[in-house]
Amino acid sequence: MDKIINLLCAAVLAGTPLLLGTLGNILTSKAGNLNLGVEGMMFMGGVSGLMAAYCYEQWALAGQGASSGVTAALLSLGASFAAGGLGALIYAFLVVTLRANQNVTGLTLAIFGAGFANFFGEFMGIRAGGYVAVSQTVKNAFAGLRVSPLSDIPVLGRLLFQYNWVVYFALLAALLMAWFLGRTRMGLNLRAVGENPATADAAGINVTLYKYAATVIGGGVCGVGGMYMVMVTCSGVWVHNCVNGYGWLAVALVIFAAWSPLQALAASLIFGGLSVLRMYVSLGIPMQLYDMLPYAATVFVLVLTSLRQSRERSQPAGCGVNYFREDR
Amino acid sequence: MKKVLAILVVLVMVLGLTSVAFAEEVTKENIKLGFVHISDPSDMGYTYNHDVGTKVMMEAVGLREDQVINKYNVSENPGECGAAINELIDAGCNMIFGTSFGFGDAMLPAAQEHPEIEFCHATGYYAAMYNLPNYHNYFASIYEARYLAGIAAGLKTQTNKLGYVAAFPFAEVISGYTSFYLGAKSVNPDVEMFVMYTNSWNDPTVEAQVAKALIDMGADVISQHSDSTAPATTAETNGVFQVGYNADMIPAAPNASLVSARVDWSKYLIFAVESYLAGEPIPTDWSQGYAEGAVYLSPLNEIIIADGTAEAIKAAEQALLSGELKVFAGPLTDAAGNVVVKEGEYFHEQETESAPSWSFILQGITVIEG
Repeated sequence: MDKIINLLCAAVLAGTPLLLGTLGNILTSKAGNLNLGVEGMMFMGGVSGLMAAYCYEQWALAGQGASSGVTAALLSLGASFAAGGLGALIYAFLVVTLRANQNVTGLTLAIFGAGFANFFGEFMGIRAGGYVAVSQTVKNAFAGLRVSPLSDIPVLGRLLFQYNWVVYFALLAALLMAWFLGRTRMGLNLRAVGENPATADAAGINVTLYKYAATVIGGGVCGVGGMYMVMVTCSGVWVHNCVNGYGWLAVALVIFAAWSPLQALAASLIFGGLSVLRMYVSLGIPMQLYDMLPYAATVFVLVLTSLRQSRERSQPAGCGVNYFREDR
Repeated sequence: MKKVLAILVVLVMVLGLTSVAFAEEVTKENIKLGFVHISDPSDMGYTYNHDVGTKVMMEAVGLREDQVINKYNVSENPGECGAAINELIDAGCNMIFGTSFGFGDAMLPAAQEHPEIEFCHATGYYAAMYNLPNYHNYFASIYEARYLAGIAAGLKTQTNKLGYVAAFPFAEVISGYTSFYLGAKSVNPDVEMFVMYTNSWNDPTVEAQVAKALIDMGADVISQHSDSTAPATTAETNGVFQVGYNADMIPAAPNASLVSARVDWSKYLIFAVESYLAGEPIPTDWSQGYAEGAVYLSPLNEIIIADGTAEAIKAAEQALLSGELKVFAGPLTDAAGNVVVKEGEYFHEQETESAPSWSFILQGITVIEG
């Protein structure tokens, strides 16, 4: 029993950065932009989140004032969102305005983001004379919450009420996005842009604005996923190449979740669970097989969705194709 | 006219030959060294530590910055590593150091093709196998430092459970965690250890997840054979302790990191470069240990170590230096109950070969792999 609870908790923690990356990319895809640069935006968000918290702390120290964990966390969130959004803005400018190839632009963004983050991460490390590490106050701000009496409920307390705030932020983001896409006029417009931009244009929807906004906000959400990896997984210490392919997993998860924010919740939990499964449950199979599980599950889901051929559960029809108004 | 031209051509060729024959002697002023690294010093782990050794060597030998070329973030894929080595050869390097285990496959053919260049490979084992005059292996007997670091862990643990975040299941790693375990056991006979592999040298997310899983199993001191600080910071977040590797990890996790086992690579680098300059042969296999200062412990974290840690380490250190203490001393029994080292004997780790060869899983160590 204890083992299962531990596994579930670890699955939530492992799934959260993936969930954020996936949500960001779902929003982008809904506007008809296939952005493969999630890895890059996560990198940019990660390093900027750390930089914001670290610089704020240095500034507070220099002024002899005590740094506040909440301020540092908010600054970190804002900076990571802005940096992820900046990466996406570059993408959106190239793809929407200049109509560059989406695949190539996304791949380039992935490489650019990794270089950007490793450069600034290393630069901060050298300036700090070794490790860039935030203080205990900031680390505590990203540690698991203890909300008594909720956290003290047996089993449920551990399962639901002891994570760091970013986990709840990601959950909230997923619910909000589901509501936005499914229940609001703007969400409908956005989906129309992603499915058939020409029709949306004819209906008087500002295609360019929607594409830009969705891509930039989506990139910001991906950036927050990167912040999670740096501030929570690595506890506010810059580690070279820390995103390490998880952005690519998020791209796969978008397909796994069938472009639905609510299913992304389940998908990232399953994916996170499968990736830490071998550490908690021993089935007596080689660990390489365990490491294959998340990917085998993705292939399985791909086969299933292609068999069912449901419009609801497939990629937005306009995804990957740039919209050019004069092109008739 | 033709004759004159022919004579001139011959003259040029002869001159060319002599100039090759009297090629400038390699001296301290013109020697060029190349290094191939798997990551870069920002990892604050393995590559950082090796780079510190390079800098100490440059100072000691008296080399300028432009005499050392570092190739960072080279993957272990032979194609990529081979390309980095070729660039170093084209840049005129006289000695090429490959610092990661997997570089051997690219260094070996390069050494066969370029007998005039010395190739030194850390942690590998091809040198003795192929016996090329210009291919050498080097490492340090890190197991001695790990044993001493294990003492700090053995005294600190309350649950008597240690956790070990290990990279890959092969001798270098197994030798490392076994010596750590033996050190802990020397001061705490009840201690047991859980080992989990990450299957990567540097993947902070998996390292953090593995460390968390070990903590969930009840481990309250975590050690690691992986490159990042994620195990240290995860230990800190969860209120347990950690023993590091490669770098002093106290700045990254001041409330968790007890001590780190480190290699001083400058010992070998100085020796190899000076041997080369003096025209002396570089040994096929080189490994030195605690007595020679090739491995050492970073300063103890005085605030959180258990009482008596410094004294216990001091005592073991004395015994190690006098030769009275051998890390892999019998009787040692493996998990299946077979005696792998008999009473009164000891396992001769890294005495003739530079690469660790201990690969038994001892009783008391549980490897969690599926």
